[in-house]
Amino acid sequence: MKRMSAEHQNSINKSKEKIAKPVLLAVLIAFFALFPLFVRSPYYLHILSLTFIYTVAAVSLRTITISGQFPLAHGAFMGIGAYLSALMAKFWGWLPLLCIPLSALATAVIGMLVGFLFSRLRSLHYAVGSLFFGIGVIYIIYAFPCTGGYTGMMGIPRLFQTADKMTYYYFFLVLALISIVALYRFEFSHIGTILKAIAQSHLVASSVGINEAWYRILVNGVGCFFVGLIGAGYAHYNMAMSPTAFNFMATLWLCMYVLIGGINSFAGPIIGTFFLFLLPEFVRDLQEYSPYFSALLLLIVIFFMPRGLVSLPALLKSYFLKRGEGERISNVSGS
Amino acid sequence: MFLEVKGLTKRFGGLLAVNQLDLTVNKGEIAGLIGPNGAGKTTTFNLITSVLQPTKGRVIFNGEDITYEKSHAIARKGIARTFQLNPLFGDFDVLQNVSTAFYISDTSNLFDMYFNTNKHRRNQKMIMEKSHEIIKMLGLEQVKNVLARNLPHGHQKMLGIARALAAEPQLLLLDEPIAGMNPDEVEAILKAINKIHEQGITVLVIEHNMMMMDICNRVIVMNFGQKIAEGTPQEIRDNEEVQSAYLGGV
Amino acid sequence: MGLLFNTVINSLILSSMYILAALGFAFLFNMLRIFNLAHGAIYMIGGYIGYYFIVELGMNHWLALLLTTLLVAAFGMFLERFLFRRLKGDFNLNIMACVFVAVILQTTVNIIVGDKTMAIPSFAEGVFRTALFSVSYERLVTFAAGLFLLGAIIWFVNKTRIGLQMQAIAQHRDGAILQGIDINRVSAVAFALGCALAAIAGIFLGAYLRLSPYMGDLMLTKVVIIFMLAGAGSITGILITGLILGTLSSVLPVFISGAASDAVIIAIVIIILLIRPQGFFGYQVEM
Repeated sequence: MKRMSAEHQNSINKSKEKIAKPVLLAVLIAFFALFPLFVRSPYYLHILSLTFIYTVAAVSLRTITISGQFPLAHGAFMGIGAYLSALMAKFWGWLPLLCIPLSALATAVIGMLVGFLFSRLRSLHYAVGSLFFGIGVIYIIYAFPCTGGYTGMMGIPRLFQTADKMTYYYFFLVLALISIVALYRFEFSHIGTILKAIAQSHLVASSVGINEAWYRILVNGVGCFFVGLIGAGYAHYNMAMSPTAFNFMATLWLCMYVLIGGINSFAGPIIGTFFLFLLPEFVRDLQEYSPYFSALLLLIVIFFMPRGLVSLPALLKSYFLKRGEGERISNVSGS
Repeated sequence: MFLEVKGLTKRFGGLLAVNQLDLTVNKGEIAGLIGPNGAGKTTTFNLITSVLQPTKGRVIFNGEDITYEKSHAIARKGIARTFQLNPLFGDFDVLQNVSTAFYISDTSNLFDMYFNTNKHRRNQKMIMEKSHEIIKMLGLEQVKNVLARNLPHGHQKMLGIARALAAEPQLLLLDEPIAGMNPDEVEAILKAINKIHEQGITVLVIEHNMMMMDICNRVIVMNFGQKIAEGTPQEIRDNEEVQSAYLGGV
Repeated sequence: MGLLFNTVINSLILSSMYILAALGFAFLFNMLRIFNLAHGAIYMIGGYIGYYFIVELGMNHWLALLLTTLLVAAFGMFLERFLFRRLKGDFNLNIMACVFVAVILQTTVNIIVGDKTMAIPSFAEGVFRTALFSVSYERLVTFAAGLFLLGAIIWFVNKTRIGLQMQAIAQHRDGAILQGIDINRVSAVAFALGCALAAIAGIFLGAYLRLSPYMGDLMLTKVVIIFMLAGAGSITGILITGLILGTLSSVLPVFISGAASDAVIIAIVIIILLIRPQGFFGYQVEM
């Protein structure tokens, strides 16, 4: 009897969730779509554009991790996309809007080559192998004079004719939405299921005929395509960049966005990026101290939300439910 | 000849785990591979399915040399297997465990997937039907939405078989399917193996439990990496060498 | 002749310091499976604390070295007790904790000293001359100190009770716990030792090269390279790969300039990793 009612409750909750999620999503998208109409400050539009860019990078990083590999070169792949597009536009004079998808494709190909090269490495060995690759990419950028080397690259052609932040804001909003939807559909397709199976046991996966090496290479290609895309967009938006934006620390911060948000959930990296990007904005006066706030957030997540910020609603719910139950029990005993 | 293993040898450092093993499996039979612990039975399976590479020897399946094929290619050619340990996708439920194997034969591409074309929907429906069929046949219907790692041991072993069947094999290799089970569960597994056999799938089963022999047509006995006897279950039971391997030899 | 000799001693000094830092990193990974991304930051903070003691407080070099080592070792024990022990070996959480420590240390140094580079005054003045070559006393002293410390560490790991316990845990954690080894105590020692070694390397290289808030990132790369090439679980391997990397990074720049030489080293490392994922002397890590 009790179980029945619990199941019933569950189904009600589920149908509630089914309505609540799309509504929440629609509200969020509407909020960001209407935001520039109310807030004209170029500074906030700039910060939000950057947030969109890094959200895509973090989500695409997480997409690779569902196959059980943890790449530590994602920042470098963003750099590959950015530098390729910038070089094409600057030296060959191609239209930036053409360079961006081209360099995204090139990044995907490089990502698949690296995935092929490292396909026999697993777990920590794969992570460190890709870490070395990322470091190597930065050295290569330093070594070629056309990239500007240590001082960075300047005079990258602008994406649109205008310098108006609002145009770029909408561009990145749309690009981020498209990328996120594409990655979402990818993860919850049969390919995503196969990747998750490989993550759980590559032995079992290949025993039922899954070519695990090929699928791991494929997911590298997909993840790198989107990070290359957004990296290229970043290059033409910023118009100047230096390799330090794509070094190991940058990769590590991408990993932090994913881990803080919650690596087991698709929404995790999105939430993580928004928190880590927007939190320091509340303490903008203390700019040089702002890393402390990010670190503090890390500490809070480590100790109180080991499954990431996405687990916060569930944690709060169970906390209040427990308290509610406690009150009910004390009421009963009181009467 | 359906599956033929010729002179298979695997050396781990100084240890000969499998030594000059010759083995044949005929189409449509249930063959048993028995032997005491450490006789090299699981290593033989790992060599057949390319989880390990042999030091020497050849594996021929349907007249084709598959010794150096990759594991997944061998599975696609029609040899599926279960594992002694770590047999499942633990974070998937029972249905997903079975349907994942079907996805590889799904012909819909990324375009179909993104735009949910008719073809994609049809394929999805077919996969679900086939998965349900297998789950029903093996009696896992009641637990089809339970996460694999939360299943009791008997069901986990059964799910291992279900997942292997989803690869649509001609030859099924079962690695100790009844180890550590209670009599009811053993009976269920034996029945399942018989059902699978009736569908025309050849079975090669490892078991160092002598009980398994009753359902085999033919039994091969290994000890110290070598074949020491071969014959009907009755012959094997009467064989003195086998008896000493089990009783006196250890 | 003089150039050759100086290159050799240069590479030996770099090697010994790389090895010291890499040993500290390896202790933490082999025993606790912590991939200590904060190792570079601790190396850096060691250098700056040493600078503070020597330059600001005007202390004797060796006294400052001792005090810094003790201080950083205590910091390591503090981290183990109040941060890492609570995470119970969860790999992702450990990584986040390491980044937390690194960010805190790096930001603090950035705020206090800013971007400007400085150097610890050298440990010894003057030049040692013979008929064939001349070499500064500083190099000789650094080299001797590195050699002495390496010997001390190897003695500690192989001959003392707690060192042997560390090895036991590295080889088989559960077995060691069943044997009654107090894992918390040994972990605390491993943390103290790991951080102390990084700090020592930081002071010596801070005097030999220069101090900068970003020196830790470079060191972390070198340490990870040495550790991976040696292989998890191997101490001897670290001595050898450390020597190889130290030699390569001081010899290659003679032939290839700047970033290209670093790129060549990384390429070599990747190739070795692909051929032998388990490193030269270690075992494959499954996680």
